[in-house]
Amino acid sequence: MNNSISFKDALKKGAVRYNPVLVQLVGLCPVIAASTTFVQAAILSAAMCAQLLVISIIANALMKSLPRWIRMPLYLLIGLAIVCPVLYYFETYSLGGISLGMKIYLPLTAVNSVVAVHCEQVAVKSNMKLTVYDAAASGIGGTVIFLLTGAVREILGHSTFAGVRLNLPVTLKGMTLPFGCLIFLGFLAAGLKKILPRTEPVREDISEEVKEEPAAELAPEAYSESVPEEESKANGADDVFGIAENDLEDFLKSVGIELNGEGDSAQ
Amino acid sequence: MMAVANGVVKQNKGSAASIYGDYLLMLFAPCFMAYWYYGVRSLLVIAASVAAAVITDILAGIIVNKKIDISDPGSVFTGAAIAVMMPSSVPYYVPVFASVFAVAVVKIPFGGSLKVPFVPAAAGFAFASVCFSEQVFAYTAGVRGSLFGATSLGSMLMNGRAVYVGEASVYDIIGGNVAGPMGTGCAILMVACAFYLLIRHPKALISSASFVAVCVLMVALFPRVTASFRTNLVPELCSGSLLFAAVFFVTEPVTQPEKVINKIVYGAVCGAVCMAMRLLGAYEEPVCFAVLLANAFRPIIDSAINNIPKFGKKASRKEVRAE
Repeated sequence: MNNSISFKDALKKGAVRYNPVLVQLVGLCPVIAASTTFVQAAILSAAMCAQLLVISIIANALMKSLPRWIRMPLYLLIGLAIVCPVLYYFETYSLGGISLGMKIYLPLTAVNSVVAVHCEQVAVKSNMKLTVYDAAASGIGGTVIFLLTGAVREILGHSTFAGVRLNLPVTLKGMTLPFGCLIFLGFLAAGLKKILPRTEPVREDISEEVKEEPAAELAPEAYSESVPEEESKANGADDVFGIAENDLEDFLKSVGIELNGEGDSAQ
Repeated sequence: MMAVANGVVKQNKGSAASIYGDYLLMLFAPCFMAYWYYGVRSLLVIAASVAAAVITDILAGIIVNKKIDISDPGSVFTGAAIAVMMPSSVPYYVPVFASVFAVAVVKIPFGGSLKVPFVPAAAGFAFASVCFSEQVFAYTAGVRGSLFGATSLGSMLMNGRAVYVGEASVYDIIGGNVAGPMGTGCAILMVACAFYLLIRHPKALISSASFVAVCVLMVALFPRVTASFRTNLVPELCSGSLLFAAVFFVTEPVTQPEKVINKIVYGAVCGAVCMAMRLLGAYEEPVCFAVLLANAFRPIIDSAINNIPKFGKKASRKEVRAE
């Protein structure tokens, strides 16, 4: 993805096409465990969005030069630094019984894979604008699904909405259980796939420095290039383990190896 | 892993009409017993459940642009099977929701009757057990007067109460004249259905036989009531929908393995899980959960057994080349 991407495009990509919950499937644990009511889903999504935004900005500003094995625990530490005050607040000031249900699951957001994926995929490889756009878009996409799931589970499972009794004739207890949430998310994912255009448009890379770190182990297909083979050959960009052929040739030349025709005889 | 996933949704060779036709024919017997013991309301419950399943099938077919196959009796079987496992006094919406769930969540998303990895009726009943446990297990006495009134055999066993199996009571128990699911309590009828299946599809009963054998073994090893083996065995087998599931769900050709040894293991897993759940679980009748778990384990069973090296058999040239 180039740097001139608008927020609208970033929103389409981060929130819809690569929705963290329905497409990338990285935010499933919190949504299944904690989004049994609308209010809990709102708190959880707010915590997730705050973490995603803050950690992405910090990662973009300070962690680009750090190796991955140091970055990963740092995401966790920063996540805990954000969650701990919120937890302390919940323990001190009980918000009408919400705190009891959330105490267990809020720390989960500190080890949220959404944060790790987006920081590794975008934040440490892009400029600040893209990082903020991506974090905001993913946060919005995740929040919409969290809220929708929380609302549906609360309405069908408890016959209430945001604590207000609806007096529905039938309540489905199964919707408050994890299997109910998984089934609902499955139908949501199917619906999303249905409404998205069938012919997938050419994917663009949101990161700038993919060539430096080609093996994006965390959701590599999400933001990777998927140009047709003929087109990529015409551009001289045959991917060999994520490295373009031209780059590979340059690299080999720089270390004193030259490729002679098809034989690849190294000197 | 891919092979395991492919094994689940493998296209079945027979047509839906040929597979479910016999099962539907057999299902008339439990439906008649439901009417015999519980009157007209039982037929209304069955009709509501079948209608919900068929309408859901048609609507879902329209939504996913799937051609509606009128000759496929899978949804009718699913709706009727769910209904006969419920008490006759159950509110109509319970079997309706269960049937809708079975068709909309289990049947249609996986591609129809011949590709389902789980028995839709078992899934529908399990869903109803979780969502409406008070209604699903609130059994009533039949219109002709049941042996223990409104007390079911399952609840007596759950509470550790021994059921006297004398000459006078044993016929009531195996004849289904006890409070319980409206169509599945008659053991004699289930045996008759098994005989019909033996004639029509002899291999289908292999997994059923191992299922019942493991259930009997579990009763012998872990009796729920401190009484004789017979006092434990007869009520265990006749309570709830155990025999019904053994004949109608465990034998279902779409979801059970193809090889004989795999069928035996599949049935054994199902029986062991069912009896373990009866011993330790919270529900009075967990056989549908056991069937669903066995369905889930089926690819693993297939994969594990197929990968066992065959001793004494010379490996073919193709296998050697593959290695």
